[in-house]
Amino acid sequence: MTELDTGGIVQVSDGGVSVEIKGEAMTLNIGPQHPSTHGVLRLVAEVDGERISKLDPVVGYMHRGKEKLAEVRTYAQITALINRIDWVSGFANEVGFVIGVERLMGIEPPPRAQYIRLILTELTRISNHLVFASSYPLELGAATPLMYAFREREHIMDVIESVTGGRFHPNFNRVGGVKPAAGGGKTQKKVSLDLPAGFYAAAANAMDRAEVACDELDELVTGNEIIQVRAKNVGVISREDVLAYGISGPNARASGIEFDLRKHEDILPYSDFDWNVAVRHHGDSFDRYLVRMDEIRESIKIVRQAIANVPSGPLQAKVPRVLKVPPGSVYVRTENPKGEMGYYIVSQGGRVPYRVKIRSASFSNISMMSKVAVGQLIPDLVATMGSLDFVLGDVDR
Amino acid sequence: MITIAAVPFALWLAVKVLVVLGLMLGTSLVLIYAELKWSAHIQSRIGPWYVGGRWGWAHPIAEAVKFLQKEDLVPEAADDKVFRLAPYVMLAGTVATFVVIPIGPSTVARDLDLGIFYLLAISSLSTLGVLMAGWGSGNKYSLIGGVRAGAQLIAYELPLVLALVAVGIQAGTLSLTGIVAAQAAPLFTIGGTDIALPYVLSGQILGFTVFVIASLAELNRTPFDLPLAESELTMGYVTEYSGIRFTMFFLGEYAGMVSMAAIVATVYLGGFYLPGLSEDVLDFAGPFILLAKVFFVLFLFIWFRWTWPRVREDQLQTLAWKWLIPITLFNIVATATAKVVL
Amino acid sequence: MTDSPSDTTEAPSPLDTFAAELATKVGAARWTADYGTIHIYVNRDQWVAAATTARDEADLGFFSWLSAVDWSKDVEVGEPAADVEDLEERYEILCRLASVNTSAAVILSTSVAKDDAWLDTLVPVYAGANWHEREAAEMFGVNFVGHPNLVKLYLPSGFEGHPLRKSFALGARTVKPWPGTVDVEELPSTTNVEAGEGS
Repeated sequence: MTELDTGGIVQVSDGGVSVEIKGEAMTLNIGPQHPSTHGVLRLVAEVDGERISKLDPVVGYMHRGKEKLAEVRTYAQITALINRIDWVSGFANEVGFVIGVERLMGIEPPPRAQYIRLILTELTRISNHLVFASSYPLELGAATPLMYAFREREHIMDVIESVTGGRFHPNFNRVGGVKPAAGGGKTQKKVSLDLPAGFYAAAANAMDRAEVACDELDELVTGNEIIQVRAKNVGVISREDVLAYGISGPNARASGIEFDLRKHEDILPYSDFDWNVAVRHHGDSFDRYLVRMDEIRESIKIVRQAIANVPSGPLQAKVPRVLKVPPGSVYVRTENPKGEMGYYIVSQGGRVPYRVKIRSASFSNISMMSKVAVGQLIPDLVATMGSLDFVLGDVDR
Repeated sequence: MITIAAVPFALWLAVKVLVVLGLMLGTSLVLIYAELKWSAHIQSRIGPWYVGGRWGWAHPIAEAVKFLQKEDLVPEAADDKVFRLAPYVMLAGTVATFVVIPIGPSTVARDLDLGIFYLLAISSLSTLGVLMAGWGSGNKYSLIGGVRAGAQLIAYELPLVLALVAVGIQAGTLSLTGIVAAQAAPLFTIGGTDIALPYVLSGQILGFTVFVIASLAELNRTPFDLPLAESELTMGYVTEYSGIRFTMFFLGEYAGMVSMAAIVATVYLGGFYLPGLSEDVLDFAGPFILLAKVFFVLFLFIWFRWTWPRVREDQLQTLAWKWLIPITLFNIVATATAKVVL
Repeated sequence: MTDSPSDTTEAPSPLDTFAAELATKVGAARWTADYGTIHIYVNRDQWVAAATTARDEADLGFFSWLSAVDWSKDVEVGEPAADVEDLEERYEILCRLASVNTSAAVILSTSVAKDDAWLDTLVPVYAGANWHEREAAEMFGVNFVGHPNLVKLYLPSGFEGHPLRKSFALGARTVKPWPGTVDVEELPSTTNVEAGEGS
């Protein structure tokens, strides 16, 4: 227990000025089991009453050693590892890795596969942001938006499941495209795994429902004075901090940085569609919430345009059965719903990579918690952490 | 009616105590069921369905039994006596308020002349119970929760008291039966019929609003449930409680809701009185009328909980000191002026 | 991996131009721009200066990540590097910097010898390097000189060894050997193997 030296006149709240009484700081251990830390995150906080003077995040409770494991998995097997990094947006994690391997091998996935990848990535983005939109108000105390958002999210999950077979861990990307019509041989029936019948109607319906959810959440949450008062000017992250700490995704765009990898990287055919990048300028928690709500609407636009125009063709380029990637190294970054997700693949010509470095968005996003949290009250800490939308699997890999 | 003199006082007292306790527990159980169902429908789901065969009516009973049979833990770092005593202190504060609530024109456990004064004093006892729970648990989370609760309850006592002062001025008495009678007294006549209005409609709308807000804070209900903030403090001052003691807190919260709702119904909504009914009918139907009004207020409480998020501690204090208290002071001045002038 | 393009009949791509310019500014030994990824190779003593130059003069102010690659001749798990005989054993430290106004990005790369594994910290230049350097230090055993708080990030405090080194055995593989050339495992047999009956 350290003595907190705060003698003198101190401003303790917006309208109040008072003389601080010298007291001892209390060490409060928040987590690792805690309802609002998005997983097993441990925050060792030194608090004076309710004001945090020092915050030390302790991570690694969920470290699964994916980078080491990737050195003993073939390229096709690694997708099963990596879609568990950010488990809320399973499909989006695989895309970057698979595209990296394609670049090293010089393979171009067919347009139909690219469109399917894009549609599923955007569906995952909407699903992720709906989870955020329900858990963030829950942390602030409103229990009802959760039910509304999850109800509409089920439609999206159903669509993803009908295409890939999995809700959270689709394992649908293959090097060269997506999972093609498979089966064959004497004992297995040929099972067509192209887009299922009714996919377009189901996707269109899911988008309509997602828009309903957005409207409902706007009424219930965005306009609510209590949410605004809890989230505005709380956890402000400046533009300089965003750059220095590598904060990406909606968190960066809420601080005025108009940078979206979907526009700046040429990985999936986003340029075929008419959509905008959602940007806000205050950098507080409320703006991070608003950016994600805007992003849901933009993604709905993209999906609606995409499902009207899916080109026909094969689902996977010609790829040798035993994948050997020529020597080389490549870094591919994609716009994961949580931020920039990248894979640095070093291949030495074998069937397994020599080194895979996984750049996960949440790791960088929360690395500045100790700076943002100083001087905040504990409820503000909860509001800030919730607005960063991180997941421990993404932090710990 | 059996004359009081014919039955020994002690026996009569025991009967009253049991009736009050029974009413309180019964209403609390019904309220728990109502909360589960109403919150479910607000969230577009169904709520309890299977327990009891149909509609899930036995769910609160099942919950109570479940809690009662849990292991009774006392943490090692806890202050034993304080820890054990806290829930009972809190419950005592809420149960004792039922003593003065009139259920019918002549049915009240004890009609004290100081009705409102007694109510406010005794309901502050539960604050003490909360502080005891926070301190006695020997847990930093509970301590923070208990201290938050203490600050909140103290801050919101004042708007509560001041709102009721205005009612006292308007009724001319502090006794609750007197207040109900004052609301029953006709205000004006339209075309031959006497119109009597409850105080919420006849000048105390500000007081009603402030009282409802302040009572939500007194009850530690969202939007003021920071002491119990689950997503921040894992249950706040109740964290270390299990078994029977937790049941006491749980029931105490709902009994508190019922008692606050009963106060609101009596003081602002006219209590057991409904215009056009004679005294004899009121003797019989009074409890049901009061119950209906109480459940209307409880519906408001539940509705607010599931619609709004929670307010931060300093914002809560700002609301109390900078907004509610000035409004209630203005309300008192306005009521007194109207009383003198009209 | 190619050096600066010697084929002058093709106009260099914007990527190559950018890489060449930056390499000149930081005084890099060489650079590559294969597969859309720019690598700029600097010496250890140029590390901090190169990062500072990239941030200030090339608009690469966004710190993406910092990590390392263990180039070893003997590997405990996985497959060895190509050209093992010619391999120079070292730790290659990589730092990815990007711009938020264009899509420009580079990977700065430097190498440290295994018996002399230290590097100057980048925390004064990019505050976000803090956690990344902690992770690289515990995973590879590289010391970052001047780091404010070089304690373990992921691993528990008593952990011995540096997991991402090629000499660190993977626990699962010590129990079960590397499956070898089988790319797709066969489905498990449905007959009772323990009783010794064949299929």
